[in-house]
Amino acid sequence: MKNLLALLFIIALAALLLYVAANMPPMGDPDNPTATHVIPRYLEGAEKETHTENVITGIILNYRGYDTMGEVTVIFSALAAVLAVLGRERRGRIHAYVDRSTVPSSVIVRTMVRFLVPLIVLFSVYTILHGEISPGGGFQGGAIIGGSMIVFTTIFGLYESSRRIPQKVRFPLEGSAVVTFFLVGVLGMVGGGNFLTYAWPRVAAGLQPALVTWLTVLVEIGIGLGGAMVLTSILFCMIREEEEIAVVA
Amino acid sequence: MRLLHNYHYAAAMLLFCIGLYTVIARRNIIKKLIGLNIMETSVFFFYISLGYLDGGIAPIRTGGADPARMVNPIPQALILTGIVVAVSVTALALSLVILLYRQYGTLDVDRLYRDEDGGTHGGPSGEDAP
Amino acid sequence: MGTALNLVFIALLVATALLAVFARDLLAAVIIFSVYSLIMALMWQRLQAPDLALTEAAVGAGVTTVLFVVTIFKTRRREEEEKE
Repeated sequence: MKNLLALLFIIALAALLLYVAANMPPMGDPDNPTATHVIPRYLEGAEKETHTENVITGIILNYRGYDTMGEVTVIFSALAAVLAVLGRERRGRIHAYVDRSTVPSSVIVRTMVRFLVPLIVLFSVYTILHGEISPGGGFQGGAIIGGSMIVFTTIFGLYESSRRIPQKVRFPLEGSAVVTFFLVGVLGMVGGGNFLTYAWPRVAAGLQPALVTWLTVLVEIGIGLGGAMVLTSILFCMIREEEEIAVVA
Repeated sequence: MRLLHNYHYAAAMLLFCIGLYTVIARRNIIKKLIGLNIMETSVFFFYISLGYLDGGIAPIRTGGADPARMVNPIPQALILTGIVVAVSVTALALSLVILLYRQYGTLDVDRLYRDEDGGTHGGPSGEDAP
Repeated sequence: MGTALNLVFIALLVATALLAVFARDLLAAVIIFSVYSLIMALMWQRLQAPDLALTEAAVGAGVTTVLFVVTIFKTRRREEEEKE
């Protein structure tokens, strides 16, 4: 009965939405409102103003810098909330004897993972550092590092992988995205501009393109490291066994 | 017929409806979260389709690409933000699901309500743990 | 050619979404959902959004799926019976 009611509602909604889709401007038309007003300005101006060849990176980190700064704060808050719900592991409290997070795997799988994980990390470093001239950037690279940690943890277990990224490295780096963004913003004020100005007015005009590029890369690195560590910490927090909580409590 | 030309929009809207039906009608919380994720991706898909240009190229100027032919970069920048927020929401929701299961031993929404009304609740039975 | 490929992708998207919603086994549903994310990433690459395709492939198909799988291993794998 309840499901039938839901189904009727969904069918009515689908009919309404399809009617809207049928009356929207044709997709891909260069005369659409979505393609005419401010877009040429962004596409033409991005290279001169943000000094990034990837327009999306320029928009995310430069034009819409406040937005992205809020977003990295959201990721950090999500980590804080997950830790508040499930409880953070104490320093050095992941013991080998409570580590049941892994399944036994063959030597072939172990060797392949040992071989692959460095390559995945290398690719993610490339993705982060080339975010301004090719597809990619901090978020993508961070997620790829997180993915490599997932692969490693699945095969070798929580104990081994938390030895590879020690807690005293991981805990401070979780906030690196927020901290880097905020520092670059304040540096913009020191350099004579507003908060989050990349091209400092106090610097000679000839040096400004290089400055903007390096600050962009710096923010990308911060976001990449921070995102990777946040994802790793969320994962570790979720796969930790309940016995370990009992040991800590 | 405009709808046949705008089939990307139509697909995104159908996927949204599938996700919304899951959130409303399925009783398992993990199913509801999968539905929520389907809704999110469908909205992202709609935005990217909005920004598409016939014969367009990706908005990356490396190699002297022509800006007049590039697709709209604004939806892509917005959606990049959206994807990352979506995974944050999913992670938080899943950790709440784990906590809920530890407390009540069920993922069924109706049973959760029944337990709240003073029914029997034990810990996880563990009979069908994988 | 291009339109045909798009239509194939969209058909696969709708099919995988329906399968993920109606599978009884939660683990199967999550794996099908990861396939859905991967096809979505391919679709976005076809719409000239390589940044987003990269993000969706890493986050949607990778991280989200693993978080779901971890949750299922911590809770239960089957949906409960529909008893009124």
